[in-house]
Amino acid sequence: MCAILGYLDKTGNKAAPIGRTLLRMLIAVGCRGPDSTGVAIFGPDRGGLVLQIKLGEHGDFTARAGELLEQIETFIAVKEHTVTSSYLRAVIDERVDPQHLVQAIEQFDPESIEVVSMGHRLEILKQVGSPQELEETYHISQMVGTHGIAHTRLSTESRVDLSHSQPFWAHGALDVATAHNGHITNYHKLRRIYEQRGVRFYTENDSEIIGIYLRDRMERGESLEEALRASLVDFDGSFCYVAATNDALAYVKDPFGLKPLVVAETDDWVAVATEEIALRQALGDGFRTREPGTRTMQIWPLQAPAVAAV
Amino acid sequence: METVTVQCGDRETREINREIRQRIAEGYKEIEIAAPGARHSLGVAILEPVHLTFNGSVGYYCAGLMDGATVTIRGSAGWGLAESMMNGTVIVEGSAGNGAAAAMRGGTVVIQGDASARAGVSMKGGTLLIAGDSGYMTGFMAQKGTIIICGDAGEALADSMYEAAVFVGGKIADLGTDAVIHEPTSEDGAFLRETLGAHGLDADRDWKKIVAGRKLWNFDKHESTWREIL
Repeated sequence: MCAILGYLDKTGNKAAPIGRTLLRMLIAVGCRGPDSTGVAIFGPDRGGLVLQIKLGEHGDFTARAGELLEQIETFIAVKEHTVTSSYLRAVIDERVDPQHLVQAIEQFDPESIEVVSMGHRLEILKQVGSPQELEETYHISQMVGTHGIAHTRLSTESRVDLSHSQPFWAHGALDVATAHNGHITNYHKLRRIYEQRGVRFYTENDSEIIGIYLRDRMERGESLEEALRASLVDFDGSFCYVAATNDALAYVKDPFGLKPLVVAETDDWVAVATEEIALRQALGDGFRTREPGTRTMQIWPLQAPAVAAV
Repeated sequence: METVTVQCGDRETREINREIRQRIAEGYKEIEIAAPGARHSLGVAILEPVHLTFNGSVGYYCAGLMDGATVTIRGSAGWGLAESMMNGTVIVEGSAGNGAAAAMRGGTVVIQGDASARAGVSMKGGTLLIAGDSGYMTGFMAQKGTIIICGDAGEALADSMYEAAVFVGGKIADLGTDAVIHEPTSEDGAFLRETLGAHGLDADRDWKKIVAGRKLWNFDKHESTWREIL
């Protein structure tokens, strides 16, 4: 079933309790996705690029983290780093080619090392397990920032592991993350097209194609909004998905309205969720909700009025 | 007896529904449910002529499988509102999610806000009254009953219907497969005035009546219809 969530603070607060809000929303809809949980939060500027690197699926990775760190430091200065469970978090000098860096890091062990997210402010933390377990391991309730998206997964077609969990980083595109509920039925056809162009896929999860598609279109000069609109034409199947960049939060709803999504907005925040129960449990009663129409998208830039839904 | 309030608090849906039934068994006719928090499946399968008021939004399937009660929702409703309802009245002050009144068999569902996609899908009787706009494929494969949309109707309206009828006061984005527009009859006019009047809505609109063209009702592979229509 899966559930997707999104939350954006409109007050200009750069340290809003995004993690805490997303966690409350996740717990409310956790029953939709018993397999995995994840968040993508846009935090404060670190003065560099922040990477969340998966060290492996299970086990103690302290030694491995140390080795990987040594490797990374041979080609780029690491300003700060921490190891928590499956992740090495590193903040590096931003004067680096992101693609080369990702390749260099993943070369350490292509089977299990993966850059899960990279960006100026984006951090993705996800794993197999419940929202409560994600909180226990990574203390996401303490993560602050401007906005974020989250996901709770019920696997339908691909493996249950960290890499296949969501949200997905649009690999290679700094600060772009997506979370999807549904099934992109022309995934294989689209995947072949991108693979022929040399794009690497990290999973067999159809949701991964969304970020790859958005990245491709934005690299060709399209805005996020244009790319989201185009996806309504190019994707087949059922989908509600949220996408977030450093500057915006957006949702897309498929032409048949096959998957649910509810939106609420006040002067202080905007929130989207697969089920209203998530909004009520996290944000209370003082607002109305609406279900957007089919074949619509909407984008909220940070600190600006929302673009009208199309 | 006066009104009794069921407090939802942090309770599970099952417990809340049990308390509602218990209150009905105790003889209460007016039951308020406080802070429903958009939980799913609230007030399902109520067979007694009681009045339930939900003071807040409800989730999916609220008032489903009902027979003869009256339900007021002071907020919005999720998917499948009043699905398979046999009889009774459901009033939503806000908007409703997809599949409102799915497969309803009798009674009246009133949505004072907007309805989303597939409102009245597979209806088998009764009346679905939408004061606002209605979404994609409203009335999809509706067998019997009536859908009244005071506002605008979304795409693929009344796709593949049987004997149900849809009345639209506003604009129609486009018609679904085998949907045709007819002039409402004077009986239709009286029905609309009476039904809308009962819920405080204005029946003075430019009504379009949409019914099935009946081209999908029988399958004969030699008919050219089947090459065009799908």
